Amino acid sequence: MRFPHTIIAFAALAASLFGQEPLNPAKLLQQPTDTWPGYNGDYSGRRFSPLKSINSTNVFNMSLQWIYRSTAPGAAGVAIKGTPLEVNGVVYLTAPDHVWALDARNGHELWHHAHKSQGGIHIGNRGAAIYGNWLYFETPDCQLVSLNIKDGSERWHKQVCDLDQMYYASVAPIIVKNHVLVGVSGDDLDIPGYFESRDPETGDLQWHWSAVPLKKGDPGYETWPNLDAAAHGGGMTWGTTTYDPELNLIYLGTGNPQPVIAGQKRPGDNLYTASIVALNPDTGKLQWYFQPSPHDTHDWDNVEVPVLFDGTVAGKKTKLMAMACRNGWFFVLERATGKAIVSKEFVKTNWAKGIDKRGQPIPDPAKEPQFAGALVSPNQGGAANWPPPSYSPDTGLFYINATRAYSVWYLYDLDDKPEGWGGTDRGGFSESILEAIDVNTGAIKWKHKWEGPGGRSGVMSTAGNLLFAGDTSNNFVALNAKTGDPLWHAALGSSVSNAPMSYELDGRQSVLIAAGDTLFAFTLNEKPDYQK
Amino acid sequence: MLDQAGSADKHILDEVAAERGKKVYIAECITCHGASARGGSVPPNDGPDLVRSLTVLHDRYGSTVGPFILKNHPMQSGRPASSLSQAQIEDLADFLHLKVADTMRTSPLFHAQNVLVGNATAGEAFFKGDGKCTQCHSVSGDLKGYGTKYEAIDIQQRFLFPRPGGRGGRGGGRGGGKPITVTVTPATGPAVSGTIDRLDDFNVSLRDKDGVYHAFARSAKVKVEVTDPYKAHNELLDRITDTNMHDVTAYLEGLK
Repeated sequence: MRFPHTIIAFAALAASLFGQEPLNPAKLLQQPTDTWPGYNGDYSGRRFSPLKSINSTNVFNMSLQWIYRSTAPGAAGVAIKGTPLEVNGVVYLTAPDHVWALDARNGHELWHHAHKSQGGIHIGNRGAAIYGNWLYFETPDCQLVSLNIKDGSERWHKQVCDLDQMYYASVAPIIVKNHVLVGVSGDDLDIPGYFESRDPETGDLQWHWSAVPLKKGDPGYETWPNLDAAAHGGGMTWGTTTYDPELNLIYLGTGNPQPVIAGQKRPGDNLYTASIVALNPDTGKLQWYFQPSPHDTHDWDNVEVPVLFDGTVAGKKTKLMAMACRNGWFFVLERATGKAIVSKEFVKTNWAKGIDKRGQPIPDPAKEPQFAGALVSPNQGGAANWPPPSYSPDTGLFYINATRAYSVWYLYDLDDKPEGWGGTDRGGFSESILEAIDVNTGAIKWKHKWEGPGGRSGVMSTAGNLLFAGDTSNNFVALNAKTGDPLWHAALGSSVSNAPMSYELDGRQSVLIAAGDTLFAFTLNEKPDYQK
Repeated sequence: MLDQAGSADKHILDEVAAERGKKVYIAECITCHGASARGGSVPPNDGPDLVRSLTVLHDRYGSTVGPFILKNHPMQSGRPASSLSQAQIEDLADFLHLKVADTMRTSPLFHAQNVLVGNATAGEAFFKGDGKCTQCHSVSGDLKGYGTKYEAIDIQQRFLFPRPGGRGGRGGGRGGGKPITVTVTPATGPAVSGTIDRLDDFNVSLRDKDGVYHAFARSAKVKVEVTDPYKAHNELLDRITDTNMHDVTAYLEGLK
């Protein structure tokens, strides 16, 4: 893979500009081995570890290496949803308002940073980003905070959204070249979603991309009834971003349109909500879009991970992108153009009448929420959600912890002009299924139904023919990536709450996972170095 | 979690003040800004949406609403804006914050409307026919007087999703319901039956009829048979239509 000149230049400067142990930015462009430098490990979003010292023949011998549980005020009892980073032997772990640096070999706490919060929804924090000597994370009170990775001291914080409009922030920033890419959350009020690039040194705005038209004539304006609806139309950017350095495009999903549930007064497709978009990371310019949920009325944020890989289409090597969406559909797109190659359900749904000529599902108006209720699959939580999937280039399979669910969707708001939350779903039946999807066809190659509902965790595949996932009964499980057979498990006491990650230090591979407020590291049982 | 939305120093609603502010709003604002403060629709009375107004959203107790109005904002009575007292402005601010809160999931207005739209006769036919409900239920037995016990929306939810906890939807579930049972036949020794305590790919545990806890490691030699009393309800979800759903709701609601 060729490195952009700016990154090479930065790498050369890094040692002199920063103190000890900065992140070598070249690591961001490699598969994760001794380093897990970004939310998804590398830019592709595959969450595929090339490590294989732990593999399907020996994983039965894996056991606890260390645990870390913070008892810091405000941090005890939180659910760790973020994927930790690991840079130069240090793990960087996050929770809302909190960041910890831990020794990657034993979980020893090096420092803890607690952000003094001014409010906002503390539903989760997905992780941090590192650029040189600096760590970046977003807070529920709408701040992008930069810390010194040596001691956790704050360098600066910058406001990236407005609490009074009930925005908040939860997503892990992503570093692309000299850009800190940040998204925002919040759909209590009718507000525009957006995505921004910030200067890594100052936090100043570099560009701002609005997910919805803010003035007449903006792209997508024709898919809204009027400017008031468009400019308050939602499309939050709380999912992770992936990046193709060769095409110089970033890929992200956007959230549901607003008002949520009640779509009567926003007829049209409501672009670019509930979409996958490709943007130029240097300018924020939209290159293409694909909309999995046109005119969404089910709160199906389309912010699942856009996973990048190469495949063959019509006999030709092609750059592809796949997403398993909250609405129950799996798509494979050409990532240079957004052209759909595969459009297929990965769980049974009942809300679409088919697909249009672009490969986008056509919503059935009868399955929009009704005052008397409409029985719809999937439910509000969706067939997939933020917990990351994985793609293994070894097996050619896309792995997702999927949910098949029904609930009844009700309109609540009787006003002529519904606003905010116009209804919701209630009740529900659900079952949880770990699925391996053939990216060439969208067919389910194998599936493993967990014994019970719930337990929605992220997954990771490895070159050791392993797939790591959480089940519905508080277990962390390793399965054979080719067949789906469980090979190892550990009961963690509460549900797996984030996605696994892995690194190798001193020739020893570790696999990290969080359950509730506790981070666990596992490794193979073997004779320790101090006995050799 | 939802009540965390917004700033820690956000305007705290005073509903008594909001009620006073409502009178000011009706007297001076409603013609242009609409009954819900979501904007007027008919020119010239098409004033902006105040629920989406940054002046309102940034306001604390009249701090931004007041100065905005006092810049000679027109009032429907024709009086000058300066004739409003500070107390009236603060009351009006409370009313506007209430209108914002009305659109949120934490609002008391956030509840279901009438779900009784079905045909009870058709519901009875489905109940006795394609729904196969009479295989387990009787309107003169376990369902006698069912319509007097629950609200219509709860009836609808209960026959679709009888499982305790009602997992899945955002509106939450409820307790009660029949437990899932399991019979475990170990490689050696007698079969044990009871209520599932925990079941995963690796272990199964149960409480027998005497409340005694039994746990087994799962393997190919251990037979595990699960019985879900709501299996028929779960399977119904894949074939019931919304019309069937509304009709059965009406039928069950009518069982007095």
